[in-house]
Amino acid sequence: MSTKSKLVDNKGKDCETVWRKAFKTNAEWPDKEEFLDVIYWMRQAIGIILGLFWGLLPLKGFLGLLLFVVVNAAVIYFYVNNFQTIDEEEYGGMWEITKEGFMTSFAGFLVTWIIVFTGLHGSNNNSL
Amino acid sequence: MWSDSLLIVFISICTAFLGEGLTWILVYRTEKYQKLKVEVERQSKKLEKRKEAHGDSLDKQHKKKIEREEERLKNNNRDLSLVKMKSMFAIGFAFTALLSMFNSIFDGRVVAKLPFYPISWIQGLSHRNLTGDDYTDCSFIFLYILCTMSIRQNIQKLLGFAPSRAASKQGGALFAAPPAQFK
Repeated sequence: MSTKSKLVDNKGKDCETVWRKAFKTNAEWPDKEEFLDVIYWMRQAIGIILGLFWGLLPLKGFLGLLLFVVVNAAVIYFYVNNFQTIDEEEYGGMWEITKEGFMTSFAGFLVTWIIVFTGLHGSNNNSL
Repeated sequence: MWSDSLLIVFISICTAFLGEGLTWILVYRTEKYQKLKVEVERQSKKLEKRKEAHGDSLDKQHKKKIEREEERLKNNNRDLSLVKMKSMFAIGFAFTALLSMFNSIFDGRVVAKLPFYPISWIQGLSHRNLTGDDYTDCSFIFLYILCTMSIRQNIQKLLGFAPSRAASKQGGALFAAPPAQFK
């Protein structure tokens, strides 16, 4: 096997282990970056899923934005403290974890929410 | 309206890939950049560990060592930014031209309906060049910026071109780098 394909193979295996660890309670995270990456991608997924739901319902106005922030932060807080039981001080406090990937996730949420809302309810005259 | 918004998402995916592709050709694949990046990341991690270990100690020797390393990291960060700068300017110009082209295509067109009333200082962007006073009408530029913010950063991270957290943490404190989405 060539070096390049070995590298790709290793990367694939690493990815698989991270996936498994992400869904396992109290997993060990010797590499902080790996855990923060899981939080980052989880946030992106939450953003898109919430955007999809808010658009389908449809949820409108400031309430939608506020609910996104609350649900997003609550899910991450629950995941870090209850599911993985991580010592947040190791990562510079809960605030650092809460900030991880928030803006990107917020932008992703807005895009999904706006597009689904436009597609389903855009032509209606809606009062917000 | 829906086809316009989907088209904008598609455009921003394409421009994000194009931008990263161009940056890869001009910057990421060059030996100088790769060497500097590895060096900056190694130094940032080392410095972070050292700061964690001797953060509050008043030992002069340690302080001096940390200062010396910070200085070295600062220089490497500056070199890294210089390597990036030239091509970033070229890409910046190309994208400004591309953006103004799209802007004129979608000029005055409502591309989406916002599910919320934007606050006053965002209205200038979300209602740019649109007639009428329904502020839930969304202009091209607002949706494009949002798409770019989410898509470009995720693509950068997916392709492994985003700077590591340790480097951006140290780099941010020493040499303020521009946010990734505006490069």
